[in-house]
This record gives sequence, structure tokens and C-alpha cells, in this order.
Amino acid sequence: MNLFLRQLLSNGRFRFSLILILLLVGFAIIGPMVNHHNPLFAVGGRFDPPSSKALLGTDVIGNDVFVQLMYGIGTSLEIGVIAGAVATLIGVVIGTLAGFLGGTLDELLMGLTNVIITIPTIVILILLSVAVETRSLVTMGIIIGVTSWPWTARAVRAQTTSLRTREHVDVARISGVGTVSIILWEILPYMFSYIFMAFVLQLASGILNEAALSLLGLGPDNTISLGKMLQFAIQGEAVRTGAYWDFLPPTLLLALISFGLLLLQSSMDEVFNPRLRKV
Amino acid sequence: MKISKHLLAVLASLLVLGLALAQELPRKETLYIGGFQWGPPTSFNPIASGPAWPMGQTFGTQYVYETLFVYNLLTGALDPQLAAKLETPDSSTFKITLQNGTRWQDGQALTSKDVLYSFELAKRQQVAYAPFWDYVSSVSAPDAKTIIIKLNPQKLNPGLVRQYLATVVILPQHIWAGLEKSEKSLLQYTNMKPVGSGPYMLKAANNERVVMQRYDNYWGKAIWGLPAPKYVVHPIFKSNDAGNLALEQGQLDISQQFDPEIWKEWEQKKLPISTWFKQPPYHIPGSIPIMFINVNKKGLDNPLVRRALAYAINYPLIVQTAMSSYSVPANSSLIIPDGGEKKFFNADLVKQNGWTFDPQKAVDILENQLKAKKGSDGIYVLPDGTRLGPWKVQCPYGWTDWNQALEIVASSARAVGIDLKTDFPEFPVANSNMANGTFDLGLWFVAGVGAASPWQRFRDVMDNRGVPAAGQTAFWDYNRYNNPKVGELLDKAASADEATQKQLYSDLDKIFMTDIPAIPLMYRPLEFYEFNESVWTGFASAANPKAPPMFTGAGIRVLFNIKPKP
Repeated sequence: MNLFLRQLLSNGRFRFSLILILLLVGFAIIGPMVNHHNPLFAVGGRFDPPSSKALLGTDVIGNDVFVQLMYGIGTSLEIGVIAGAVATLIGVVIGTLAGFLGGTLDELLMGLTNVIITIPTIVILILLSVAVETRSLVTMGIIIGVTSWPWTARAVRAQTTSLRTREHVDVARISGVGTVSIILWEILPYMFSYIFMAFVLQLASGILNEAALSLLGLGPDNTISLGKMLQFAIQGEAVRTGAYWDFLPPTLLLALISFGLLLLQSSMDEVFNPRLRKV
Repeated sequence: MKISKHLLAVLASLLVLGLALAQELPRKETLYIGGFQWGPPTSFNPIASGPAWPMGQTFGTQYVYETLFVYNLLTGALDPQLAAKLETPDSSTFKITLQNGTRWQDGQALTSKDVLYSFELAKRQQVAYAPFWDYVSSVSAPDAKTIIIKLNPQKLNPGLVRQYLATVVILPQHIWAGLEKSEKSLLQYTNMKPVGSGPYMLKAANNERVVMQRYDNYWGKAIWGLPAPKYVVHPIFKSNDAGNLALEQGQLDISQQFDPEIWKEWEQKKLPISTWFKQPPYHIPGSIPIMFINVNKKGLDNPLVRRALAYAINYPLIVQTAMSSYSVPANSSLIIPDGGEKKFFNADLVKQNGWTFDPQKAVDILENQLKAKKGSDGIYVLPDGTRLGPWKVQCPYGWTDWNQALEIVASSARAVGIDLKTDFPEFPVANSNMANGTFDLGLWFVAGVGAASPWQRFRDVMDNRGVPAAGQTAFWDYNRYNNPKVGELLDKAASADEATQKQLYSDLDKIFMTDIPAIPLMYRPLEFYEFNESVWTGFASAANPKAPPMFTGAGIRVLFNIKPKP
């Protein structure tokens, strides 16, 4: 078995967070396979308490909270994955180009990155979400992704700047290998674990950004997500009227996903980062 | 030095605390009201657009400025206020006589000249009641107590003119005539020291609250006595749930906020909170939130598609969830089957021509009458290739009961195979979409109960006369629905006797149920009427109907009947 993989699996925090994430992903995948109820069709009245008819009760418009959780967690994860992938991709492209090529392009790209960092993300998120005609899962993911890449770009640039002076990169350059090939085959493989950890962080922040947008009424169309569940709970005054079954489960799930992903990232950092490695 | 600094800080804190306590009003003499004011009070001009509470509410709150008559939701009649009686010597003349001793808060007499001035102001200023003069030829004041209104024989509509008599506030000519000359724009004038004729004067207003103080020399004292609370305070809350929590905790005495599941307050928490009725629907219906359909959009231009949609919507679920059981399921009629309009409601006609929640019937219309085929995505496609959606159904963001109702509309429609999705823009955007006719489907408000209902509601939903093309601002008929028969029937109904009106409204309702330009989703009270009797008791209710369940119009009488709890 790969050394890193063995080290990862021997890390208790990594095992715990991986199992937690796998359980949540499993819930999102298996749930809708065994339960075919539409999460947006009512099964009861306003805030019916938990019962055999609806395991976690109903929300403000009579939808089954448990069924909504099953579908909602899937939606939130999907948006998070798309957002994470988009943000990581943009961040890696900009970061490696700036870091590897340096000079004016580096100044320009990092200037752009710094400008975007100074604008509060939520403002851009709201403006983009309002502007689009349809908010599908992909659109939402892209919107969140294109506003979240700057920190990844800065970190990747720093890594690239350090890597580009390594001997194997010099050898490739002297051998006449093109810039793109050097970045793809000589730089990126050395950053793969770092990029993956950045993706995990972006995934967690994508899920939370979706929740924030949904709370503002800018969630995905015609579907349910954990953020939209919370939006309905707040609109229906679930907290004041004591309908804890409506607002606690999505809140807990959001907290668990974020906790699991952040723990996963930090445990991976412990293994991949030589300064933190205990072995 | 250090000690003196600390001493200074303590003294300053005590001073602030002392000032705060000094401003606190005696609770037993103060009534707290909520649900009318949500932002900083910047204008107390009753003729401005959107002034602060208690100015400018639909039927006039009667606190500072009064109207000639007050609308009574229970009886559908106009009760006396500044005017003692309304006579109709002939079919096109109103003779109004003022009460004895009407007086402004600065001591000057309130006469028919002030009434004349207030109505004629609409000829010079773009006030909301400017259309009054479309229906009236002249207003005269033969003596200090009499006003004669001659109706326009070309647009005879006594109901609508009566509505104006209960909504136009009477202004003191001796103050406002001067303001007309001195102010650049009368509608922009903030009027922070209002002088009216009512039983309250503005004491203070800031970002936290508006405070009214009783005017003990009120001219109406001889007729009605004085209202019980010396002070009426409207705290300004940031959100609905903060206001509802304040009512629950007795920090508010009366509230007109949407307070979901309010029955739990007395059934489970045993609090002295109540609404008009102690049982569902808890409130008297006063308006119909109605979903306009863009009848000029491909697919939605087919009345059968609209009929299928009407059958698909789960009205009982909307009532049970979004409306928190504060309504009965909506009928397919533009007439409210209760209160002042009950006499016009034709239940048999609704049964024969209308719709109820019946998704199977919706599918039947789609498949057998329209010959539509269901696509692999579960959405029907008409024989000409028109897919039924995606269409957006909109209403303003944050109007929570409406937002939830539309979520049910969208899921109901998708359940039968019509692709609807919700869209909740901010109010100005939603408002502009409605006025310009740039929407697919939109939930909006139309005229509630009043002296001119249901005539005004039929006009709002069905009358295309005077409505500009899509893209320009319309004030009614937002979807530009046009049926030439409607105008003729409306004109006849405007001046007909009650029996004829009933027939004409039935004819109009039948057209409505055939053409389906809009779908009523639920009923709403004119105002949510909720009270907490921790401090004040004796509020009017169904068991004690001393005043109608409203905080404007004839609802002012509520304040004259309550007493501080011993």
C-alpha cells in the first residue's frame, strides 16, 4: 500500500472524518434510492411533530423533513462539489500560471486576485445569483465557485514559485519541454495532495455559501437543499413556535458536513505537510 | 484621578439610566400596537405616498386625521365620523352633514370648507385619491355643516364615491393652504408636527418607536367619550417574529402582524391572547390574494391550460400551512363569501362553473380536452409542441405566507405535469413586473372589502379599459386580460340597485370562471386582529362585537371600549 495512504489510514482523525463523510454521502445516495417520495410534496400539515407518518415531522408547508434531509444533503453536496471543483480549477490555473511564468503576468494575475479578495464574496454571490435567469444546481455551483478561487490561487502560486526552481523542472526546461507540459507533468503532481486539500476546503465553504444564499431566498430552483430547509424554517417562525424538528436536523447536518470536511482536511495536512508530520 | 474618572463614568451611566426611566410611559396608561410600521418614521404627511403610522392607512386610522365616515367591516356600512349623516336626495347627489362641534386640535372650527378644500386638493396635487374627480362633477359647501357632492352622470358609481368618503382624510385648510404656497412639493412635505381633528397628537417619533398622546379636548368627546389609553406607542421591530414574540410576552397589546399558529398562545401556553374568533378561521376574510396569469403568453393563453392549473392547486393545503388556518379554502369567485359581500356570493354558480382542488380533473383536461402528451420529464406538451412551462410564479420576497403559498402552487402544478417554479424578487421588482405585465404568473393584491366592493375587485381583475399595453404601468388588469363584455356589465353594476347588482356580479363571476384570467389562492383578513389582555381588557371580539376587527376605519372604537386591567 502507498506510504501516504498507509499513514493517512493510521491517523485516527482521518479515519473518523472519512467515516463521517462517507456516512453522510451514503445517506444522500441511498436515501433517495429507497424512498421515492418527492421532497416537495406535502405529507401533512404545518409543523406536524415527528410521528410514524413523518419520522422527523413536517415543515411549514407540510413537507416531510426526513425526506427533505435525504434529498437536501445530496443537493448541498452536489453544489459544494461543483463549487469546489470550479474554485479549485480557477485557483490552480491562475496560481500556477502566475507562479511559474512570473513577471508582468504574475503581477497582473495577483493584482486581479487581490482586488477580488477585497470585495466581500457574499455581495458578488448575491449579485450573480439575482442576475441569472435560472438557478440550477450547476449554475449555483459555478456562481459560488467563481467567487471563491482567490485564496486557492494565492496559495498555489506560492507553492509553484517554490517548485519552479527545483532541479527536475530545470531539466525539463533545458530539454525543451513546453510551459504547459512542465506545469502539467513537473509541477502539478507535486502539489496534488495540496490541491486536493484545497478542494476539500472549497467544498466545505461551497456548501456553507449555498446555505447562506438559500437563507436569503436565492437558493436553487425546484429542489430542496439544507439551506432552503433553513430558509423555510425561518420564514415559518419554526424557532419561535417551537418546531425544533424543522430547524435542528438541517443545522446539525450542515455542522456535521463542515466539521467532517475540515477535520478531513486538517488530518490530511498532518500527513502531507512535512512540518506537521509526526512520523 | 483614576477614582474621579470612575466616579464620572458611574454618574454618566446613572444619568443615562435616569433619562431613560424618565421617558418610560406609565404602562397602565399606554397601549402598545404593532404591525404597521417597519422602518424609520420619516413623514407624517397623510397625503404622501407611504407615510409613517398612524397616517395614510387604507381606511384612515382616525388617530390624528379623520375621514368623513368610517368603514365597518362587520356591517359593510359607513359609520359616522366627522360626518353625522349621508343622504341621497336623488340618484346622483350625496348630501353630507357634519357632526356638531367638529374642531381642529389647534382650536379652530372644522367646517365644510375644510372638506371642500381636502377634496379639491386632488385637482391640484397628484394624491392617491385624484381619480375621485373622474366620478364626481362637483363638490359644494352651501353652509358650514353641509357638503353637496354631485356625481358624474357619465361615470355614475356611487359605491366608489362612498369608498372615497371613508378613505380621504380631511385636512385643515387654514394650515395646508399656506403649505401649498410655501412648500415646493406638498407630497414631499414631512409634516412632523401634524395638526388634525382626531383624539391623538404625535408626541414623539424616532427609529425605535412612534408615540401618540391623547388630545383631551377632542371634539368627539361629547359623542363617544375619550379613548382609554393616554398614550399609544408603536414600537418598530426589525422582523415579524420579533413583533410576534413581543405580543406573546405582553410587550404589545394589539398587533396586526401575521402570527402563525396563534391559537397555541391560549390553548397551550394559556396566555390571555386572542383573535376575533377563538376557532378557525380566527379572522374575518377581507381580501383575496389572487394569482394573475399572463394570458398573452404562449401556453398560458389557452383557457383550458389555466383551468387545468386551477384544478391542480391544493387550496386546502395552502390554508392549512401557508395561511396557518386563517382562511377557508378559496372559492373560484371574485366575491368574498362572508361579511359585507356575502349577499352577492352565488354559491350555486360557483359550484357549476368553478373549480376546487382535483388533480385528477386537471390531468383529465390536459389529456382528454387538450390532447397534451406527457414528456419524459413529466411535463405535458400541447399538440402544437408548446411545453407547459417552465413558467415563473412570482411575489415579493419576505411576504412569508405568500411565498409559502406559491411553493405549494408550484409543487401542485408540477405534480400534474405543469412546470412552474417560484420567483421571489424584492418588492420594487415584483411591483414593476406586475404593473408592466412582464410576468408569467404573479400573486398580487386587489381591492379588499370596502364600500365599493366587489365592484372594485372585478375592475381590478377584469376591466381592460384605461389599461396601457404591456411594458407601461398599469394600476389594474395587470395581465392585460380583455373581454369586451366586462366593461358593459361593470358600468351597469356601478349604479344598479342591490338585486340587479347581484345578478350582474354573477354574470361577471361566470365570465371570470370561464376565462380564468387569475386564480384566487386564499382569503386574508383586512388586518390581522390580535390582542393580549395582560394590561388592557375589553377588546372587541366575535363574542363581544362592540367594534369591528380592524385598527383603521370603524376599528378606532376599540380604543374607546377597553379598560386597564385592575
